[in-house]
Amino acid sequence: MKQLFIKTHEVWLVTLMASFMSKNSETKQSLNDFSDILFRHFTWLERELIKSGLEYDYNRDSVPIKVESLRVILDNIVERLNTMELMLPNVTDDALRFRIQTDWEYMKYKIGNLADEEVTAFSAKREYKDFNLSNEATDALTLFLFEESYKEYELIMIYNYLKAHSDDDYLNKIFQILIDESFFHLKSFGQMMAEMGILAVPRVIHESIYKVESLVEFLKDGIDEELAAKEQCKELSDAVVKEAKELAEFFDFINYQENYHIALMQDALRHFEEKGAE
Amino acid sequence: MEIDNEILEHMRNPYNYGRIDEPSSIGIGENPQNGEKVIIYINVDESGSEATISQIAFEAIACMTTVVAGSVITKEADGLIFSKAEELIAVTLGMLENVDPEQAACSEMVAVALKAAIDGYLLSKEKGEKQTLIYKIEQSCSPQMEYSKQEERE
Repeated sequence: MKQLFIKTHEVWLVTLMASFMSKNSETKQSLNDFSDILFRHFTWLERELIKSGLEYDYNRDSVPIKVESLRVILDNIVERLNTMELMLPNVTDDALRFRIQTDWEYMKYKIGNLADEEVTAFSAKREYKDFNLSNEATDALTLFLFEESYKEYELIMIYNYLKAHSDDDYLNKIFQILIDESFFHLKSFGQMMAEMGILAVPRVIHESIYKVESLVEFLKDGIDEELAAKEQCKELSDAVVKEAKELAEFFDFINYQENYHIALMQDALRHFEEKGAE
Repeated sequence: MEIDNEILEHMRNPYNYGRIDEPSSIGIGENPQNGEKVIIYINVDESGSEATISQIAFEAIACMTTVVAGSVITKEADGLIFSKAEELIAVTLGMLENVDPEQAACSEMVAVALKAAIDGYLLSKEKGEKQTLIYKIEQSCSPQMEYSKQEERE
């Protein structure tokens, strides 16, 4: 089941990246929905691993996604799902196994019928819409998108791991909100990266990052990181405001969202400290 | 960091990113100021006249500039005999004297991690048991502020 868990992680990412590559709104939506479902499979398999007392981590192989034609990556998703079918009998929960199997059947059917498209997500043109950004602003935006897309993926995995290993309902509600928020940010940044021709899969996360030794320290550091992220958004917004007002508005929007994340993390910290146990 | 197509490729698909199962040696470069670290894994081939890095991989708990440095340096180090790898480390550290301290810290962290992996391998042979060395750096690595600093300089 561990191997299936790893392969589900990989196919979730490939499907998410494929959704960024597509310029057709229906195809994009289908792939986006499928990636969400595959992530849910991932969390359910994780729960099974925990129930079975099996040690696991979020290590995975690197996921090559650079293609010129969407059909190539779509076929890759189908091929991955076909290979994973051989691992499915290892899932002992009948309901979960049936659910995953029937989801995959529909995904393969649907993906098989999606129209091909030319992919420009790897063109390296580094232009966003019609905005005329300076070289410095373009470099800053590029670096920001690489840093932050990784960061959001990292946060999803950290909060997911914490949630999987916590039986505190109050904390888990907060973790789930933060996971949902990071998904929105990851999807926003991934889409921008695809449009700029710089799409990339976030790198593998080292297990020391999500297997946190102290939740209190993690939350305190996390609050500091959110404050730093706010500052970065503000800097980027200021840097592009003259050349690209829409982009500046977007980074302000992300910046203000970080305020709520900080409040939630402070709330989690208060709750955890009130419980008086770590 | 000025980003050209070559740097972009290192960002998008860093060379040697990941880990080696049961490596000959592991070295860690750490920034004590913020806890960022680089872990380098090497396999060593001793069949020739001098020990050679036959395989190398790295993981970075750090910023993208460090990932780029890790990609560049491990690509260069792959296949080198130890003395050449030591030269690479010395040249890298020497070049950093003229680099912005924040960016220098990122490359320094990779270079000292490679040094720790090599030294750790030699020490392990000497002591007869595996030694993982951690070398610390002194600079702060926070390239996220780079843009504002450029603006200030202008």
